[in-house]
Amino acid sequence: MDMKRDYYEDVRIFTSGAVIFWTGILLLLLAIFPFVAKNYYVYVVNFMAINVIVVVGLNILVGYTGQISMGHAGFFAIGAYGTIVLMTQAHFPFLLALPSAGLIAAFIGFLLGLPALRLEGPYLAIATLGFGITTTQIIGKIQMFGERQGLHAPDLIIGGWHIKTDKDFYFLLIPITIAMVIIARNIIKTKVGRAFISIRDADIAASTIGVNLTYYKTLAFAVSAFYAAVGGGLYAFVLRFIEPELFSMFMSVTFLTMVVVGGLGSIMGSVAGACLLGFLDLQLRNILEIPYFGDWIRMLSESYFTLTGASNIQLIVFGLILIVIMLFEPLGIFGMWIRSKKYWLAWPF
Amino acid sequence: MKKYLVYILTVMTMVVFGLALNATAEEGVTDTEIHIGQWGPQTGPAAPWGAVARGTDAYFKMINADGGIHGRKLIHHYFDDAYNPAKTKAGVKQLQEDTGMFAWVSGVGTAPGLAVKDYLMERKILWVGPSAGSRHWLEPANKYLFNTYPLYLGDAELLTKYAVETLKLKKIAVVYQNDDYGKQGLEGCEAELKKQGLELAIGLPMNVADVDMKPHIMKLKNSDAQAVLLFVGPGHVARLQGTGKAMQFEPQWMTSTTCGDHPLMMAITKGLYAGTISAAFGLMDPTNIGDIADFNKPTLPAMVKFYNDGYKKFAAKEERWGSTFAAGMGYVEPLIEALKRVGRDVTREKVVAELEKIQNFKSAMGTVSYTAFDANDPLCRIGQQEVFLVRAEPDGTSTILTNWYKTTYIPSGH
Repeated sequence: MDMKRDYYEDVRIFTSGAVIFWTGILLLLLAIFPFVAKNYYVYVVNFMAINVIVVVGLNILVGYTGQISMGHAGFFAIGAYGTIVLMTQAHFPFLLALPSAGLIAAFIGFLLGLPALRLEGPYLAIATLGFGITTTQIIGKIQMFGERQGLHAPDLIIGGWHIKTDKDFYFLLIPITIAMVIIARNIIKTKVGRAFISIRDADIAASTIGVNLTYYKTLAFAVSAFYAAVGGGLYAFVLRFIEPELFSMFMSVTFLTMVVVGGLGSIMGSVAGACLLGFLDLQLRNILEIPYFGDWIRMLSESYFTLTGASNIQLIVFGLILIVIMLFEPLGIFGMWIRSKKYWLAWPF
Repeated sequence: MKKYLVYILTVMTMVVFGLALNATAEEGVTDTEIHIGQWGPQTGPAAPWGAVARGTDAYFKMINADGGIHGRKLIHHYFDDAYNPAKTKAGVKQLQEDTGMFAWVSGVGTAPGLAVKDYLMERKILWVGPSAGSRHWLEPANKYLFNTYPLYLGDAELLTKYAVETLKLKKIAVVYQNDDYGKQGLEGCEAELKKQGLELAIGLPMNVADVDMKPHIMKLKNSDAQAVLLFVGPGHVARLQGTGKAMQFEPQWMTSTTCGDHPLMMAITKGLYAGTISAAFGLMDPTNIGDIADFNKPTLPAMVKFYNDGYKKFAAKEERWGSTFAAGMGYVEPLIEALKRVGRDVTREKVVAELEKIQNFKSAMGTVSYTAFDANDPLCRIGQQEVFLVRAEPDGTSTILTNWYKTTYIPSGH
């Protein structure tokens, strides 16, 4: 079915004509979306797109290389602060400040990758968790970063284009997101990607066939950090104000959850996971507005739970969705897709 | 034929007239309703502050039960943002663009507020009474943003003045949260000490995540501080007072308005809060110094009415009557006053004009005054500048220590 017959088939970004067709349809829909959707939903899609960038990058580290990171909010913060500070203090234009902040984060990611060479599993999780927490603590003490009082994003002007509205930002963000996803897919299809995968599957075996573990493990951290920082730099302009408390441990855990729910080791799974959980994160707030169900939840809450029980239901529903996905399909959304694809291709047998 | 022409002309006139009416209708205002939005954390670590939004909700229901304002009901739309600015912005955009809010009120937190400030101001949408005493709301002043919460600078000024002039203490220290709130406390204290010809004994920053208070207490002890101003959260006040007692360091503790709920503070400090002096922004009457004020037995007319007709009738059955809940009324009273004054013809511009005419308005909070808009004058939108001091008593009541005191505004960077 998805069997590759030669090397060139394996390295192709678009694996079939159908994929090219559906990608074209998706691009068309994305192009017309801001003209037909309400502005609020454009904001939601912008938010989801930022999650996509971060989660695709994190999946390169977690899903493809088999490393874990519980501190990606730290890289995200470096990107957000780096972009603003480079623009306001060093007077970099946005299109230079954003990748520069990404490169700074990539360098820090490389440094973090060095001690990570000797760590695995829970030990690596704790080390990266510490990194995430420490980063925001350090940022909170540096005057140039506004300490705990935060920073305002400057006006975003590219050439003569003043990006003010969500729709404007959408036309900047979506091409960046698409480019970042294609680059990630391309990385995985190259020698570098195969080295990442071999380290994940059996690092000693990979080493014996000539894969440089030090180089590729630190590279995975650097690439992943770059993605997170680019996401962070864009996030600063979605909110237009940042402060250290935003980049909490909970944010790191949320990114990791998106990777797992989407499907470890799948770029398209990451896109799906980031979109689904990003959407739910913003939209479950409206659960009480659902006709009948919302009223029933409110009544249940007032009768049996606490004052804010009805508000907490969104967290319960969020958790339940995660449990159900993991229970029925440990490979996440990507696993569901593969399973349904196989079913239809083999139907009626 | 003529008959049909008359019909067509009549219908066309009605359509054009209807369109014209529709074009002039104010967003969020109908013949019978005024839609007002609010955000506040009902979940997450900042959830205790969610009582502000529930207080406003009960207040609006009380107004509606009394017939509304000039025949219009107040429709309150509040949502849980979990103190997450991304969610605040999403909720504000959705309500503003889908339903259309006439105005926004209160809104807990500096970061969530800053995430939506530009959005609201660029669209000339009214926002009254942000629930955080931040200079971000005033520098620069915005035509459509009216502050009511007194700045923390003023709390520190009055607490320091009282410690030096009335208690005759010379060594004053500050423990401050390492953010906008805490730094205002440090700044206000230092400015007042300078006026008094004194120097700060010690200023200790604290992070929200700090748990171990022993190093702080040790440094305070070494500084020989006689009075310690605490510009930290209620949880840290409890930890500092508990650790202080264990290490035999018991200065005159002083706290900001954020720790003004004495029954609550007595409960979370297990009684150690007794004797602590705190700043207050209203909700009780400080006219008679030495009086004992019991928050559960309000005396201010606005508070008595809100307690009986708002809290008792419209609050959820487990809702606690406390200053956070009651502040939900206090922060938004200027908007209600302006809506009453503006009459039936409600537009944002007219309400702004009425708000600018509010001078020495006093109800549940301190005196509120606004003046004509001047982008370079933060005081035109500051609202309340006065606070008073109370001392926590062992039974949860409060002794009035000072009358209202008008505080000094210090611009950022001075």
